[in-house]
Order: sequence, then C-alpha cells, then structure tokens
Amino acid sequence: MPLKIRLGNGEKGVLKTSDLYFIQKLLRTMRNPKTRFDSREFVEKGEDYLFNYVGKNVGGIDEGRRNFLKGIVIGVAAATVVGIIPGLRVLVPPVEQATGFPKSLLVDVSGNPLKASSIPVNSPIITLYEYPLTGEPNFLLNLGDKSGNPVSIAPVEVSVPQTGKTYKFPGGVGPNNSIVSYSAICQHLGCTPPYIHFYPPNYVGPSQLTAPEPNTLTAQALLAAKQANIPALIHCDCHGSTYDPYGGGAVLTGPTQRPLPAVILEYDSSTDYLYAIGAIGVATYPEGSDGVPSQDPTKDLDTSQYGSSVGSKTQVQASTNPFSGS
Amino acid sequence: MSLTKRVSNWFSERLGLNDLPFFKTPDYMYHVNEWLGALVAASFIYTVISGLILLLYYNAAAGYQSTETIINQVPYGSVVLYSHLYGSYAMIILAYVHMFRNYFVGAYKKPRELLWILGVLMLVLTLGASFLGYSLIGDALAVSAVDVGAGIITSIPQLSFLIPIIFGNYDTGDYTRVLALHIILVALIGLLFVFHFFLAEQYGMMPSRKVKPKAPAVYTKEEWSKFNPWWPRNFVYMSSLIFMTWGFILAIPNALAYLNGLPQYFDPFMNPKPAPPPNSPAAAHITTYPPWFFLFLYKIADFTSDVVIFLMIGVIIPLVYLIILPFIDRSDELHPLKRKVFTGIGILMITYLIQTSLWGDLAPGVEVSIKEQVIAYLIPAIIVALGLTFIKPMDVKTKQVRGISPLTSLLFVVVAMLFAGSVVELIDYPSLFTFAVTLFTGSLFFIGSKTMGKVVLSKGFPNNAVPEVRTTTETPTSNETKRKFAEVLMSILFILVVIIVAQMWTIPPTGYASNLFGVDLGLVFLMLGEVISLYHYVVYKKPVEKEE
Repeated sequence: MPLKIRLGNGEKGVLKTSDLYFIQKLLRTMRNPKTRFDSREFVEKGEDYLFNYVGKNVGGIDEGRRNFLKGIVIGVAAATVVGIIPGLRVLVPPVEQATGFPKSLLVDVSGNPLKASSIPVNSPIITLYEYPLTGEPNFLLNLGDKSGNPVSIAPVEVSVPQTGKTYKFPGGVGPNNSIVSYSAICQHLGCTPPYIHFYPPNYVGPSQLTAPEPNTLTAQALLAAKQANIPALIHCDCHGSTYDPYGGGAVLTGPTQRPLPAVILEYDSSTDYLYAIGAIGVATYPEGSDGVPSQDPTKDLDTSQYGSSVGSKTQVQASTNPFSGS
Repeated sequence: MSLTKRVSNWFSERLGLNDLPFFKTPDYMYHVNEWLGALVAASFIYTVISGLILLLYYNAAAGYQSTETIINQVPYGSVVLYSHLYGSYAMIILAYVHMFRNYFVGAYKKPRELLWILGVLMLVLTLGASFLGYSLIGDALAVSAVDVGAGIITSIPQLSFLIPIIFGNYDTGDYTRVLALHIILVALIGLLFVFHFFLAEQYGMMPSRKVKPKAPAVYTKEEWSKFNPWWPRNFVYMSSLIFMTWGFILAIPNALAYLNGLPQYFDPFMNPKPAPPPNSPAAAHITTYPPWFFLFLYKIADFTSDVVIFLMIGVIIPLVYLIILPFIDRSDELHPLKRKVFTGIGILMITYLIQTSLWGDLAPGVEVSIKEQVIAYLIPAIIVALGLTFIKPMDVKTKQVRGISPLTSLLFVVVAMLFAGSVVELIDYPSLFTFAVTLFTGSLFFIGSKTMGKVVLSKGFPNNAVPEVRTTTETPTSNETKRKFAEVLMSILFILVVIIVAQMWTIPPTGYASNLFGVDLGLVFLMLGEVISLYHYVVYKKPVEKEE
C-alpha cells in the first residue's frame, strides 16, 4: 500500500509500496547485530559507506538469486560447448574411400589417350602412372626380346613365397600381347623409383655390377635372370630384390618374399587405347606398414594411406631415364 | 564455506585473480565505445583459430582444389572457411572503427603516441595479411587481385625486387610462399598486439573528457586503485563482448552462403563463396574486383596512370599522416572541436574511404577525369570545412560536452555525401527534379548538422546536489523491474539455446545444409554473449555510474 498525502483535492504519492518495503528491510538489517550499521564508519566515510552497505546487505541481489543467475550463465555456456562438439568433426579428415577399382583410361601428359602401339619396346625410361589411388605408382612396360621385338606374355601362375599361395597372372595385352603393368613400389620395404626400375636387355649384363646406384645389379640377380632365361628384369637397388617382368612380377631373388602386384589392363583394339581395370596379387605395399601387406589387393582400397581414387583417367609419365647419367 | 566457493577461491588464489596487473575500470566505462579494441582482438583470435583449422587441410601446391575440398568434403569445412573470411572482414572494420574513435577522442596524444603508431602498423599488417589470405583461395578473383598487386609493384622498377620476395614461385600456381607470408604477417600482428595490449593496460583506458579534458589523459595511481579490478567484472563484460563478436562472425557469412543471384556489385561485400578457377571457361564471364577493403585503391588506380602518384594518394600520404599524427597535433586539447583541422581531416578520411570504395564497387576500372575527381572530392571537403567553422565548442565547465560519436559522424557523413551527390547531379543536369532532390538532401544535411551540433553544444544538466541524491536513492527500486525482466530474458534465452543446440546435432557435416551449423553456432554465441551481458547488468550494474 503506497504512502500518500492529501493536499486539497489531489493526492500526492510520497513513497511507493516497494520503497516502503525497502525501508523496512533496511531498518531491520541495520538493527540486526550480525549486519549492524556502523554509524562511526558512516561519519568517517560518508555516503560511500552507506551505498556499499545497502548494496551488500539489502541490495538488489542476494546470494541465492546471484547463484541462480550464475547457474543460467553456466548452463548456457555448457549448452554452447555441447553445440560445438559436433563441430569438432572438422578436425577429422574426410577419408577417401574408393569403393572398387575404377576403370581408368591411360592418357599421356597432354591429356590425350595413350596409343598402345606407340609404347616403345624395352624402354629404359621409367614409365609410371598412378592407379588405383593417387600416390600409388605403377610401371607400364612393353616387353621385348634381346633384339627389341615385342614378346607375347602368356598367362602364368605366380606364387607368393611368403605364404606359398599362388594366383593367376592374366598375361600381356596390346597389339602384340606384350604390354604389362606392375606396382612400382617394392614389396620388400617399399622403395619407389628410381631405386626400383626396369632393366632392358642391354643393361642386363656384368657391366651393371659396378654401375652406380640406382643402376647396380647384383650377381644373384644376373644369375637368376640367366637361370630363368629372361632378357630383362625389374630390380630394386635398395636391398637387391629382383622381379620377373615376363613372369607376372614373380620373385627372382630376395630379400622380398612377395611378387609385385600386377595391374589388370584392358586393351581396346578398335581405338588402340589402354584401360586399367583392377589389380591382382598381393596388396600394394603400404607406406609405413610392418612389411606384411594384405593378401587381398582390394583390401588396400579402403585402408590405403595414399590419396584419393584416380578416377576415370590416369596420366602416364615417362620422365626419368636412370641410365642417362651413367 | 560451500564447495563451489572453496573451489573458486582456490583458483582465484592460485591465479592471483584479485591483483592482476590489468587496468582497473571505472563503472562508467562499461560501454562498447571503450571496448572497441577488445572487439578487434576477439575477431583476431577467432580468425587465428579458424585459420589454424584451415591450415590442417589447405594445400598450397593446389590452392583452388584444396579450397574446394575444404568447402565440399571436410566436415563443416565451409563453415570454418566462410567465417575465417568474415572474421578478417570484422577485424578490418572494427580496426577502422577503433582507430577513428580514438582519432576523434584524441587518444593518440601524450602519453599514448606509441600505442597509436603500433595500432596504425597493425592495421597495415592486417590489410596485408587479408590480401594474402584472399589470394590463397586461388580463384579467378584472387589471381587477378594478385596480378594487379604484382603489376603495381613491377611498374616501379626500383620495387620489382619485391616480387619474388612476396610471391615466390607464384607463376606456377604454387601458393607455398603466399601461405607462409600470410602466417608470418599474422604472427607479426600477434606480436605487436602483445605490445599494444600491455601499453594500453599501462596507460589505462582513456578517461572521459569530463574528468580529464586535457592531454595527458590518464588516471593517477590513487584514482585508479579505487576502480573495479579485472576479475570478475571486467572479465564478465569482456567475455560477453567476445562471444557476441564471434556470434556475428559465424552467423552472417553462413547465412549469406544461402543467398544466390545477388547483383554483381553486392559480391565484394556479401558473397563468401569463391569464384570459378582462373583456367575455367566460366572465369571469362565474371567481372573481376578486388576484396572490398581494397576497392578504394582499385578506384584510385583509375584516377591516374602514374603508379607513383597512385601509391602516394592511396597509400603513402594517408599512412604517413596517421603515423606522424601524434607529432603534428601537439596541443593538449582533446575536444574534437578544439582541434578542428584534425577533426575535419578525420571526417574527410572516413568520407573518402567509404566514397571511393563504393565508387570502386559500382564503377570498377572506369577512368575518371580530373574534373570529376575535383567535384567528387572537393565537395565533401567544403561541406566539412563549412560545418566545422560554424560549430563552436561549449565551455566544458558549464555544459556537458559529448564528442561526436563515430556512429553519429558516420551517419552525418552519409547524409553529407548524399547532399554532395545531389549537388553534382544538379550541376550536371539542371532540372526541377534534381533541384528538388538537392533541396531535400540539403535540408536533411541542414537538420543533420543542427542535430550534430546539438549533441555537442547543448545537453547541459543542472549541477545540483539535491536531485542527484534523489536519483541515487530512487533508482534501485526502478532498476528492480528491469532486473526482473533481464532475469526472465536470461531464462528464455537458456531454453532457446538448448533447443538450438539439440538441433545442431542433427545438421549434416557436409553439403548444402552444413552452413546452418555455422548460423546456429553463431546464434548460440550471440545468446551466450547476451546472457552474460544481462548477468553483468543484473549483478554489477550500479544505479548511477557517474563519470569519475
């Protein structure tokens, strides 16, 4: 009930109800021995003390209300944190998963489809393309005999010394069935070109025993080539593993215990184009692995640490000639 | 003692929260005007954090491709990328506002000269870092912006040694060096910010002109020690500002991402998405423009074919002026109307900046004759000069003097520009219509200058003890309803935040809908800021916060 005074006809408010309550409350607090109003200090410090006193003891906010408000602030802050949590997915990189092997047309550096008949036989130049993922290089080889005539590569059973299992290599493609393709990552410890590369017939001889890296052939490799009666080979200079390009990438000498996986090529004789359509053999040697790649070439697609799928085209690059320096 | 109290005491003791060496703040300074620097810092911090996230994905060897990957494939990548862009926009705008506010209140005067110079350098670095960041996208616009920038440098033979230093192997589309410089410049901003911040803390915030009307405007140790310590009131107020800044930075670009088909002249300001790549056929059809914060330079390039003159007008003269300003304006007057020349130059700088930027946006690359330049730039100068001549400062002792706040002067600048534009139209096409328009804008300008004058000239208040005491005793009760209202509002906001957060968990991380996440997170930040601000109001706000 507000306090009013009557002057003539009009009423004039003196104190509002809330003011009345406020004064009542203030007086009660001032008398309370716990929160007694110190009149001596008031005289000393003046109205500052009074305002501070009121603010502290009777002022708008008591402890309970303040805690309630704090609770709301903390609640909103907590809700904000909860809202940010799904956003933290930004830190998880999107994993590129190739669902299967793409069918990729092999193209040259200028983007035109590569003509199978134009691939030089026994080229010493390291010719690579990425498949099935970026970062996974493969050799593209047109194999020939000692005199440089293309050799038809027949399907062959390739064995994996590590497990004793075998798989069927489908053989060469192209106009002379002489074009093959193998992973260019050594199955021993993952060395890549130029350390691992193809040695054409004219470089498979004793002169290479003393050639500088990455062109050194070991005596074992030469012996194995002789025994297998093959004119050319794939050899890795890191630790001396040798593979048979004519025999589906089979192991000629260790230390590797697995053959090079082969890329399955498809040849379109009407257009002379080549397509990579899959892989066979063990999985591509994964970077940073303990040296035991999966037996299943498709396994590698969803766990590979390389890049994303190469898509419907992959570029063949023939840039490095390891023998040019020697 | 309750457990929470004990825990909070433990922390405040260990962290020394009660005697942090930060500036203590008087009650009347809890207004955003005094905290513009905090807003710039907030947007800087946001931009750094989002930039570091982007750094996890960005591949400098394939700029455009990796930008596309970030937008389309990284979870919430577009949210981070767009808000990174707008974080830097916010930083630039707020840095300008912060600078011009301090320009008009005379905060560059003794003893804050170094603080001012550091600030100007930071603005330059910010513009530089933003330019480099803008190039990193590698779209057609970025490439053309870099080409223009590189072209300007190459046309001065003495400067061409800078090209490899700045762009490195840029010709091959490799952004490695641009990225490195982008990060280096930001790191430099961070370093200068530390100096800037601690110098600002040392001098304290600039007192109201009513308290200290003359330079050096600093509080003495005794005055200073009475004020609110940093913990908890400053902290609470500051966090509300920071969260609100972040809220705007997140919400605006992600909402704009849903706008399509805007007229071309909106693009520099309102399009967070990258343009097509430079080698695509689509690139031939787009109008190239620089980022909006360099539109003014782009227009100045149309004024003259001489690059040296262009650099003088566009960069060197304004920059040198700002840097040596504390040493030219040596008077101890802080009132803007007591240093009319500098106030006038300041208003003109804002006017020219906005005017030239808009001009560059509407007519990019269109040559401008000397006559047009004179008309465009002389008229605002005349208006400002006339206006300032007739406005007189009042005696500080008897009248409350309030400076022209940046916002007021901005508004006035817009009106003045409209007036100027209509005068030009009237001269070019004298007709009844242009005359009417000029009359209208002229009267607006007249009213504007009168109201501006009023803000500065009048508003005296009785310097009488009795009514003042009455207000102090009366307000607590009238404040009470406002406080109740604030509390209700806080509860409502809490419920809203919970609803939005629940919805945020359902937003897909990539694709068209993913930008909604940014909008929602922005709204949540805004509401968090608002709740903290309301808390500050209810708990700390005093009925009367007089200037002391």
